[in-house]
Amino acid sequence: MANFRSIYKVQVFLTILIHLTLALYEDQVGKFDWKRSFVGKVKYVSLEARRIIVATEENVLASLSMNTGDIQWRQLLEDPNDYQIELLQVDKEILTVSGSHNTWLVRTWEINSGTLLSEWPLNTDQNIPSKFTVFEKKLYHIIPVTASHVEVTVYPLYDVNANQRKGILRKITAPWIKDSSECVVANSYFICLESNQLYFLNLLKDNADFQSRPLDSLLGSSLAKTVLIELNHDTPSVLLVQNNIAKLATIVENNISVKPFDLMPNAVKFKENEHIYQLEANDNRDKLIRVKAKDFQTGKDVFSVDLDYPIGLGAPIILGGQSIGLVTKLFLTTTDNALLLVHLPEGKILWTREEALSSIIATEFFELPISELDASIEHEFDGDSDIISMFTHRITTQINQLYSLLSGGQSRKNGVMVRDEFGLHKIIVVATRAGKLFAIDTLSGSIAWSYRLPNIQPFLSTDKKEEMLLLVQRTAKYYPLPAQCVLLAQDSITGLGVVFQFDPITGQSTKGIQRLNYKIVQAVLLPYPNKNLLKPFLVVSDTLEVHLFPKDSISQLKEHFSTTFLYIADPKRDSLNGYSLKYSTEDSLKLTPIWEVNFQPSNLVDVSAKPINEIVHSQGKVLYDRSVYYKYVNPNLLAVATVTPDPNHRSVVSVYLIDGVTGLILHSASHRRAKGPIHLVHSENWLVYTYFNDRFRRMEVSAVELYEGHLQSNSTVFSSFAVSQLPDIQTQSYILPAMPLKMTVTLTERGVTNKFLLIALTNGAVIEIPWLLLQPRFTGMPCGPEESCIPYMPEIPIHSETTINYNQTLSRISGIEVAPARLESTCHVLVHGLDIFYTRVAPSKTFDLLKEDFDYRLIVLVLVGSIVATFVTKRLAARKALKRAWKIFHKKDIDKKIEVMRICCIGIVK
Amino acid sequence: MKYIAAVFSVLISCFLISSNSLEHDGSLTIKLQHALNGGPNPVYTDRGHITIHSLRLKQAIVNQSPLTDIEKHQIQKLAEDNELYKIKAIVTANDGTERTFISAVKACMLAESELDDKFAVSLDYMGRVIGVTSLIASKATCEGAVVPLDKLKEFTTSVYVRHSETGAIPDTASYIQKLEREREAQEKGEVKDNRSFLAKYWMYIVPVVIIMVISSASNPEAQGGGQ
Repeated sequence: MANFRSIYKVQVFLTILIHLTLALYEDQVGKFDWKRSFVGKVKYVSLEARRIIVATEENVLASLSMNTGDIQWRQLLEDPNDYQIELLQVDKEILTVSGSHNTWLVRTWEINSGTLLSEWPLNTDQNIPSKFTVFEKKLYHIIPVTASHVEVTVYPLYDVNANQRKGILRKITAPWIKDSSECVVANSYFICLESNQLYFLNLLKDNADFQSRPLDSLLGSSLAKTVLIELNHDTPSVLLVQNNIAKLATIVENNISVKPFDLMPNAVKFKENEHIYQLEANDNRDKLIRVKAKDFQTGKDVFSVDLDYPIGLGAPIILGGQSIGLVTKLFLTTTDNALLLVHLPEGKILWTREEALSSIIATEFFELPISELDASIEHEFDGDSDIISMFTHRITTQINQLYSLLSGGQSRKNGVMVRDEFGLHKIIVVATRAGKLFAIDTLSGSIAWSYRLPNIQPFLSTDKKEEMLLLVQRTAKYYPLPAQCVLLAQDSITGLGVVFQFDPITGQSTKGIQRLNYKIVQAVLLPYPNKNLLKPFLVVSDTLEVHLFPKDSISQLKEHFSTTFLYIADPKRDSLNGYSLKYSTEDSLKLTPIWEVNFQPSNLVDVSAKPINEIVHSQGKVLYDRSVYYKYVNPNLLAVATVTPDPNHRSVVSVYLIDGVTGLILHSASHRRAKGPIHLVHSENWLVYTYFNDRFRRMEVSAVELYEGHLQSNSTVFSSFAVSQLPDIQTQSYILPAMPLKMTVTLTERGVTNKFLLIALTNGAVIEIPWLLLQPRFTGMPCGPEESCIPYMPEIPIHSETTINYNQTLSRISGIEVAPARLESTCHVLVHGLDIFYTRVAPSKTFDLLKEDFDYRLIVLVLVGSIVATFVTKRLAARKALKRAWKIFHKKDIDKKIEVMRICCIGIVK
Repeated sequence: MKYIAAVFSVLISCFLISSNSLEHDGSLTIKLQHALNGGPNPVYTDRGHITIHSLRLKQAIVNQSPLTDIEKHQIQKLAEDNELYKIKAIVTANDGTERTFISAVKACMLAESELDDKFAVSLDYMGRVIGVTSLIASKATCEGAVVPLDKLKEFTTSVYVRHSETGAIPDTASYIQKLEREREAQEKGEVKDNRSFLAKYWMYIVPVVIIMVISSASNPEAQGGGQ
């Protein structure tokens, strides 16, 4: 009974354990995951007593700590693509106006906690860009109507019943006006610059009209292009910038006048004192930036301070500041979206925030190089050293290796960029929209290095997706050759291609930024490494010329000309074109078109190829009758999604599977009355996609799986040209009770581990769904645990335990990236957006790893105990055997005696 | 030859599976041109016509003239040089719109199959042609092949019109039915099942008893051995 009960207990315990390990334990929080939060590129700022209130282009309102720069609170407003914050005013509470065109929302926020206090809408008839200002507790909304008039609406802000909140509209004739971009609001004046005339209007006076002054009477000449910049001061004043020299114009009693001194265009002023601050370039190489303070009235220099400006940041501008007595704090932002707080008069940088990380475009995971110690063993045969020194070298290295192994290994320490046993410590290289590269340590989330590339921007791919390419030419595997990665982007002014080659571990570049003289439409990494183990890549220009990088690897490529195929998706013509390199020669690479698929009038929304480093472990699926159904694993397969506007069905979503070599459409399915957003996940022999079903108003997810059948046509070499039979296609659809933002699939080293789909939802959660749950079921075949098949459920259940980011809500997720670790069970995951979240997932649980709380002491104790017990029992057993032997001997002795006695007795009786 | 036929039958069956989901029927004419000169700059010459009277019925009439001797030699040479045999298909829909598609197959595969090629005409959900692909049914590729001229007589072309399938929809109805069936079965089961505790769980209790008996039986023996 005792035995049975314990077995039963263990079983119950195991089942509970399995269910629990789906989620995290409380003490595991933050153990192998981390989260960094960002606010985005700052647009407006206000420095308060111990905090900095920022409004950003990501349509975020946040409060940063003055001392550390950490986010105290953050409020996310509407989608930044549709809405923008246009006014930030901090008084007792924070006032924001955000919106676009003709719908605006006026909100007030509590300053300490960031809670919303009030909100009211502001609607106008005019659908044109406009300006806002707050003056004497009134909100002024100024709309310039082109070539007609200016509408000024005044709203009372406080102590008003919400229902009675009505604006007072005033129209001022201004037949010269074009749009709001040439106008600024300076204090109580609205000032415009139009055809070399400066117009200004006093907003406070009810019956005021525009007054004008010709620009040449103010500046002397009006030939160069002049730009207006507002300046914060009690007397309404603006900067007139001409040829990068700014003049200060002030309005006193309805008369505008220009001060005689010159300023920089980046000059700013704060309300507390009479200084104008401006930034100048400095000749000193260590202190590149100088802050100069000038007197507002005379323009004389008050003081100038050289800043300890960090190297690698872009050019700064002053966004805001605060002066208390002698101490001044300047809030700077840079061209690469970093934020700095400068303390004057010392010129010290108090903190820096890298806000470029809020818009990651491309990501790549890199394995770290081996440690110097491990590397030194490779040097054994380097020199002409004699046998004894070689021997001593080997012995010392191995002793050192043993020592480091016993002392706990180096890779466990943070900050040491050395490969660990399981490939859990990696470096993530990210390229951001601001054109800055960062390397992030997976263990700590700290920035290992950063590199700013001036004037670059992402490509625009299908469906206006922003894209940059990070191609891994060589990993850190090949010591002593360093790893090499390449970034492809375009120039932000000309749109021409930019190639940047760098070492992903150190961030150093030997060649620097290469600017190409053509636009890039496609780039491919080729799987043929050259003698330096560097994989070359091809770049296709907009005129369909092909360029190879590096050029000398043509000798590797020429053997593969006839088997190298490319495809180009053209979102403008909604077509997909296939090309061959067959007719190339060593001197000139040539693309020959060999196929075309034309989706017009549908819109090409997404094209997805399989992950290049994916390994398909299992070639088939075992059916219930123990026969094998082989998977159709075509490495050249492309998944394409299109959306067609249709008069009958509103919009139709179509998904195609196209062979990338022959252009054969293997499968096409269309969903009527469905629309985007469409997310494609393409892996092994299956495709999963989500779309919105307009008819039932729900998100749906479809799975498509391809099989060859019971016979494998060619198990050794796959050729797209040899079509012996078309794949058997299974499909199934499900209801997804959530709104997905991004979707991807886990990737492991050998592909043995089960696959999980990772779906980022609009509610800030990233959930994992087993592929088994989506895998199409075979009709007419049993489905149960024996067939490792979960019976069909039309709705995908979403449990809270499947959220991989537990309670850490992630805002505005823009991508999920995965990479395999060297442990088969584990997969690295990086979720980026306004927050960056890194974690590891193990879809089949960590079957190849001991739990981190594994009790090593206990197992050693048990082992030692059992060894001791073995010896003791051996000894005891020996003793027992001896005793027994004696006993038998005695017994035999006695028996003999008895026998003798018996014989004697018999004799006597006889 | 038998083996090739088997391959074809599988291919044809696969093509026929795709469901018919066109809303409006239509017709098509496809003008075929091929390039027999090889090299990167194809010069297209006429090959024939394909007429599809009904996209729903997927029936195609192929109209091709036999090859001339020059063309046969050209194809033979293409096959020998392991070149690509390029096809241009000019599709005219019944509303008069014209679209041009290109496609290519390995010339040696075409020659080895004795000019038996297939065309997949893929349509979108409205019956508009989105791609015309030429393919050869074969289990393996080749890298150049010498094929005697008497095997290159005439194209035997098959045309497969491939419709866009209607996307699968979540199957809620059968799932609800299944749930209801299960519930009914459960309800029925509950009504019937009013046996005693022992009658219901004897299969669990008996092994426990047996194990207990065995363990208690083995213990006295060991004790007895010690005595």
